[in-house]
Amino acid sequence: MKPAPTLSAAFLESAGQSLPEALLELRKQRGTALVDMPLPTRKTENWKYSSKYLKLTDDMASSLPSQGKALTGQDVPGYRIVFLNGVIQPEASELPQVDGVRVASFRDLDDQEAAELADQLDNTLDDKAVQLARLNAARFEDGLLVRLQPDAVLDQPLFVIHEVTADASGSAFPRIFVDAGRHSQATLVEEYRSSGAEPVMVNTVTEFKLADGANITNVRLTMEGENVQHIGATGVRQQRNARFESHTVGFGGPLRRHDLQVRLEGEGGECKLNGVVVTQGKQHYDNHTTIEHVAAHCNSEETYRNIAADQSHAVFNGRIHIHQDAQKSNADMNNKNLLLSNGAEIDTKPELEIYADDVKCAHGATIGQLDEISLFYLVSRGIARREANVLLTMAFINELVEQIPLETVRETAHTRLNQFFDQTFQEV
Amino acid sequence: MLSIKNLHASVEGKEILKGINLEIKAGEVHAIMGPNGSGKSTLSQVLAGNEAFEVTEGEVTLNGENLLDLETEERAREGIFLAFQYPVEIPGVSNLQFLRTAVNAMRKHRGEEEMNAAEFMKLAKEVSKQVDLDPSFLKRGVNEGFSGGEKKRNEIMQALLLQPKLAILDETDSGLDIDALKVVSDGVNALRSEDRAILMVTHYQRLLNHIVPDYVHVLAGGKIIKSGGRELALELEEKGYGWLGIKDEETADSAAN
Repeated sequence: MKPAPTLSAAFLESAGQSLPEALLELRKQRGTALVDMPLPTRKTENWKYSSKYLKLTDDMASSLPSQGKALTGQDVPGYRIVFLNGVIQPEASELPQVDGVRVASFRDLDDQEAAELADQLDNTLDDKAVQLARLNAARFEDGLLVRLQPDAVLDQPLFVIHEVTADASGSAFPRIFVDAGRHSQATLVEEYRSSGAEPVMVNTVTEFKLADGANITNVRLTMEGENVQHIGATGVRQQRNARFESHTVGFGGPLRRHDLQVRLEGEGGECKLNGVVVTQGKQHYDNHTTIEHVAAHCNSEETYRNIAADQSHAVFNGRIHIHQDAQKSNADMNNKNLLLSNGAEIDTKPELEIYADDVKCAHGATIGQLDEISLFYLVSRGIARREANVLLTMAFINELVEQIPLETVRETAHTRLNQFFDQTFQEV
Repeated sequence: MLSIKNLHASVEGKEILKGINLEIKAGEVHAIMGPNGSGKSTLSQVLAGNEAFEVTEGEVTLNGENLLDLETEERAREGIFLAFQYPVEIPGVSNLQFLRTAVNAMRKHRGEEEMNAAEFMKLAKEVSKQVDLDPSFLKRGVNEGFSGGEKKRNEIMQALLLQPKLAILDETDSGLDIDALKVVSDGVNALRSEDRAILMVTHYQRLLNHIVPDYVHVLAGGKIIKSGGRELALELEEKGYGWLGIKDEETADSAAN
């Protein structure tokens, strides 16, 4: 039997040393653990449909330069953190000055704060499930720390712009850590962008720790170019009565992978996960989500919609795991899929694992095409065919787009969706 | 206005219409009656341009123009309107958005300026009153969760907004209680005008008490087998389709009840 390919050693030769000692130490440990890590193949269950899109060349092992394009992301209003190729650009950022809210670059932490962070970092994700995201812990060169003191409220959303400049091959490893104290509140928007055309990888990890009663909303917009392989993971741990809400709007690429793992560890916890994914051409997008109902009396609600046009390929895998003690859990997962062409492919797999006996769980998954009768109804009123297609496709995702709590994000999504419609539905 | 000559149409290889001939002039109201399976709904769908039905022979012209060459949306813009027997529910598209898109598509076709949201809202509210639909229906998804009667009123509202040249009403009376029937009929009567024609397709003649037709045709086995004035409908009501040598189980059933 042929041995499974492993991650090239080049990927583990970390470059930058501009981090506090404690974090460099953490990074080194994590790197050691990755030596000889097999890369996912078709036989790796959680990469079954996506391993063929993964193309990590040695050229991509080097870190992309963290200086150059000086002021990106200035179009974003309010509080703003700009990462350029994985490194925060202080002069392009607009940090909040709010009581009880600490927002800082990992590079700016003193020894004590860095040591504290090193203890907290990298323990929200299930290592086995997110093989490739683990690379981030071995390679991050900077990161965003958001610490909310108990009862602190971030009065405006914090936009985090992740920009990669793909003028040469390489990778970026941005990282975010949010520590939300008791009853604190914040909204964090992550927007992934790119420029340049060389093949690059964005390998990103975002972690949220929610203490009792914390309330966090996370919006994720994935909009990088056709040359960017995106491997992202988001880990969430919630204590008693904490609430987490996530809105993903993603557009496809050569490889798009997002693992979202939520652990409801205290009673009364609640999470709501929404996702809209659109793929076209030969693009790919794979969302893997896991909700762990560890404690009793928690609610989870998950709604993902995929739209695949042309020869593109979308994957959804949603796992809900209800632990033995998680009585009175309430879990609802729904995944609907729309194929806009005969050549497109969508794979969906809801997984329920239930070990408690007094729970309410529902799940549903459908795959369909635009309804011919609805289409006929619309055009029989004089509406142009293209317009009718757009109306029906929007109808499929509107409910989720409208739930995104920020006008400017909805606008960005609509603009990008309109481009998709222009390319997908021709004027007759 | 509408001229149908020797129209044959089939669905999935099965011939349903077997040579329909019909002339409708502006200002006229025609009723097509017939038992289930006679081809009434097929005729409506073919005229509106549903591609599930294949026209195999014959011609249809609207004001001299070959209708069969036109796409569904082009027929609509030329003035064909079909009130569906089973209006489609489209969750996620608001009724208001749907109606405005349709009205503006027509206006654009006529070279008129499109209506903005506020102008249209005003118009839509007026028309919804005319068919006794609460304006809150404008905000809901198209026909989403509407009762049978509400769906039919929504169809008539569309006709009033779009002001077609030829309105085809496919079983518009089915599923309506007597009050709803009155509202819908009033709406249709409001559509009657010298430059507009109406083609009603119905199984029962009760609708014709409210919307009095100029001509009545009986469709059976894919052909019009008898035409006459209003009195033909009354005769059918009295004697059933059996009188014309047509087997109709539903009519027999309802007579027995």
